[in-house]
Amino acid sequence: MSFSPEKKIAVHVNKLFKRYKNGTEATSGIDFTVNCGECVAVLGPNGAGKTTFLRQLTTELKPTSGAIEIFGVNAIVQPNKAKHLMGVTPQEAGVFETLTVREHLELFGKLKGLDKKSARDQTQELLKNLELENEEKKRVGELSGGQRRRILIGLAFLGNPPLLILDEPTTGLDPQSRRTVWLLLKQIIVAGTTVIFSTHYLEEAEQLCDRIAFINAGKIIADGTLQELRARFPDRYRLSYLNGKGQIAMPHIEFFADFAAAREFIGAKEISEYQLATTSLEDVYFSLIGERLQVEEDKK
Amino acid sequence: MKKRLTDIFCIFQIHLARLRRETGPFLLAAIVFPIGMYLFANAIARQSAESVSNNEKLHFLAASMVFSLSLTAISWLGYLLLENRFTGRLKLFATLPLAPSSYIFGVLVFALVQGSLGIISMLAAAKILGVETNISGFSGVLSFILIILVAQLALCGISVIIAARVRSFSEGSLYTDALGAGIVLLAPVYYSADALPAVLHWLGYILPTTYIAAAINKILTGNPYIGSEISILIMMAAILLATGFRVLNWREE
Repeated sequence: MSFSPEKKIAVHVNKLFKRYKNGTEATSGIDFTVNCGECVAVLGPNGAGKTTFLRQLTTELKPTSGAIEIFGVNAIVQPNKAKHLMGVTPQEAGVFETLTVREHLELFGKLKGLDKKSARDQTQELLKNLELENEEKKRVGELSGGQRRRILIGLAFLGNPPLLILDEPTTGLDPQSRRTVWLLLKQIIVAGTTVIFSTHYLEEAEQLCDRIAFINAGKIIADGTLQELRARFPDRYRLSYLNGKGQIAMPHIEFFADFAAAREFIGAKEISEYQLATTSLEDVYFSLIGERLQVEEDKK
Repeated sequence: MKKRLTDIFCIFQIHLARLRRETGPFLLAAIVFPIGMYLFANAIARQSAESVSNNEKLHFLAASMVFSLSLTAISWLGYLLLENRFTGRLKLFATLPLAPSSYIFGVLVFALVQGSLGIISMLAAAKILGVETNISGFSGVLSFILIILVAQLALCGISVIIAARVRSFSEGSLYTDALGAGIVLLAPVYYSADALPAVLHWLGYILPTTYIAAAINKILTGNPYIGSEISILIMMAAILLATGFRVLNWREE
């Protein structure tokens, strides 16, 4: 399956609604565009609609209404054609435990349309990149949860699809394995692959992505580069401090528009234990989600 | 076409890996229950007569072969399909450019291999138990192979429908376990239709196991002409598999 690289838009979503039979609206009119070669993280609290949104992109879940185009292919009308253009790591997928690691990757490579030699070569490369070389002859059932997760990520990479959709790919991985996956993702992003992934690790989004989209209550409530999102947050400095001695308590958090104001606050309160830093994606996240929750409350 | 055949073969290989690693326990399970039922039926027959004729033994052997087919095609294949669906393995296939029919065909090929191994084991066990089969020449062997294949297709259709429609793993397991044994014990397989209460006679007409048992019994006793049974079973297999294809959908609504 070939696609036209001259087309600048990899994914275009228009007014995407998903309403379940019980009346729950999981996505409420999402408009979303991802350009070729972009890496976009989808963030949001549990139950916000991230997985439902991604499952509609991967054609697993049929939308109630709206349009999805993958490199110009109507994914709702031609799901099989669209699936040729993407590699997917579902959030809760199982592996075949009686296959060896090598067998698993090679057989799924063939299911993706690779010939025997290409499936073998790509498997060899993935085993190396995912640090699973020593496990290639082991049965998948003998592997740790993190190693199985890496196999699932590897399955998405097989066939070098121009689009990767990964639903919480690094959940359950130890820090070292997570960095292995980041390195691999960075390599394919540099090579021009378009990547959309959901995550709860904000550091992951900061490290890898060109753009970040926040989803809450089935809607995209903010979408932009890290700089653009930070600019929406007026206070640039975040002060975290402990108030009083010998307390076992959550630190207090204050935000300041400038450094001098923060220093003045520290002096006036005679704070000795503190951490002063520029605002992070986490602050933007809580600000956006908090704002949204407040709006929802006000509506009620 | 080439891609489709490759897909079917890959699905078959994926599932065969499991059978390869668990051949011993599989064969044990595939013959323990049916041979147990064979011995049980013989023992009951011996209580009412001094000896059991070879024809009676062949009747019980045919019934036990149906039991073996039903266990492998409904209970165990059903369990495998449920496992694929409810442990998230099916999601891996659903996100690939793979037709649901390729998945079903791959699984069917696996089921045919699995069921045939069970039947070969049953024939070997029957030999050890001293049962003399009278399969008559080439036409008898051909009829035997044909009925085993068609029977498995019909029974697998039931598994596919159960695995695609149930709401949970436990619900599906209850259905596959109950039907795997139930459609053998509730049909005139080990006993004649007259032994069933009148209100249950209709079951004998609608259950595929009735026709499978009748056909295998004919072949084992030297009569390879199973035209009526095979016609009914082909029709049942077509209906059940078509329904299975229809209800198994990659895309959730």
